Amino acid sequence: MPSATEPMRPGKLPKGPRFRAALEHWNRKLHYYAGLFLLFFMWLFAFSGLVLNHPTWSFAESWNNRKERNYDKEMTVPGPEVKGDLGQAREILRQLGIAGEILWTTTRTDANLFEFQVRRPGHFFFIKADFAKKRVNVRQSDVNLWGVIKVLHTFTGVQMDDPRNSRDWALTSLWAYSMDAVAAGLIFMVLSSLYMWMELPQKRFSGAFFFGLGSLICGLFCVGLRWLF
Amino acid sequence: MRGRFYRLIRDLHLYVGLFISPFVLLFAISVFFLVHSWLPRRASETSTTQVVSALALPGDLPNLSGRPLIDALKPTLEKAGVRGEVGFVRHMVKEQKLIIPVTIPGRETTVSISIANREATIVTRETGLAHALVTLHKSPGQHGPDIRMNWFYMRAWRWMADSTVYLILFISVSGIYLWYVLRAERSVGLILLFAGALSFFGMAYALSH
Repeated sequence: MPSATEPMRPGKLPKGPRFRAALEHWNRKLHYYAGLFLLFFMWLFAFSGLVLNHPTWSFAESWNNRKERNYDKEMTVPGPEVKGDLGQAREILRQLGIAGEILWTTTRTDANLFEFQVRRPGHFFFIKADFAKKRVNVRQSDVNLWGVIKVLHTFTGVQMDDPRNSRDWALTSLWAYSMDAVAAGLIFMVLSSLYMWMELPQKRFSGAFFFGLGSLICGLFCVGLRWLF
Repeated sequence: MRGRFYRLIRDLHLYVGLFISPFVLLFAISVFFLVHSWLPRRASETSTTQVVSALALPGDLPNLSGRPLIDALKPTLEKAGVRGEVGFVRHMVKEQKLIIPVTIPGRETTVSISIANREATIVTRETGLAHALVTLHKSPGQHGPDIRMNWFYMRAWRWMADSTVYLILFISVSGIYLWYVLRAERSVGLILLFAGALSFFGMAYALSH
């Protein structure tokens, strides 16, 4: 019995239209090629998802084990050519030599005081600039590898419940589009596996049982609960 | 013996993969909504308001907070016909009011209880499938472990989400084994595995250093 994962020699290729045979051949190949390329991404998102869902797991504690640094620096006040809060934040970061995703945080009550946060996996910067005194205070929190893993899972630069935040760091965009690519790759892998399963007539019934069971349980949570309650 | 082991792993890879594929689709599709902070607009998003009077409230309400407060409010909510995962309860002392958010994937309900009048105003909003996927993707999540998963079905969801992770780990390890057995594909596979590792570790390093 041929398997979805067994190599098929040209002589063993299924009969029928050439296109279908080529589709089967490449579908199988691309399934494990995609899986191998995405392996580390998949492990990261799966494992970090598990850790995020269990915040009480003490071995993965990151925030309480953070290392803090606090320092002041002199700064040159951004000139009038620098427009808006984002522009000013970028200029201050350039002077400090810090790179990361700028988070919208507080409303400015005093034009001379400017507070914002910058984040990158493993590092959190809380920046307070005083334009009148030409000084900037930086509180830097560095978290351990667990903290890096957790932030990588959620590092999109945007928040669904806060439309003020938008991606402003090139690496955030790169990571966000990587997340898209991983998601698209996983969707492809699921669809290609369904196609391979359909090509195995002997396994259709047993496979349908497991696929049906998974769909039923998943469907219960996605739409069924709303019907039941 | 080796052939039997291969066939066993191959069948388990297939059946486990088929079982978790709807869950993988759920998590993968919701990634696009989360990454781009966007949800498709529902043409038929509905909102209903209902008032329930003569509610029986727990006696020690002012002394309760967190999970005990949620547990104490559950019978009241059930009587008002509201079921689901209860979020962070806001107690507005001055107004003698409780604001209780209750979520079922695809539906958000806000229950405002006037403690003095023992009356509840219930606003229910049907948010749709995309919102349900996002809710499930983020559940249980890292925040509020003391109060979350207070509804049986969301606790069950946590088991399913955890199981999906464990099964994905199994699927990937068994997939590596099944690929490794295919001698003809080893070199291309190794190149792709290496390219994937390089992309992943390269990006993770650039982001965190």
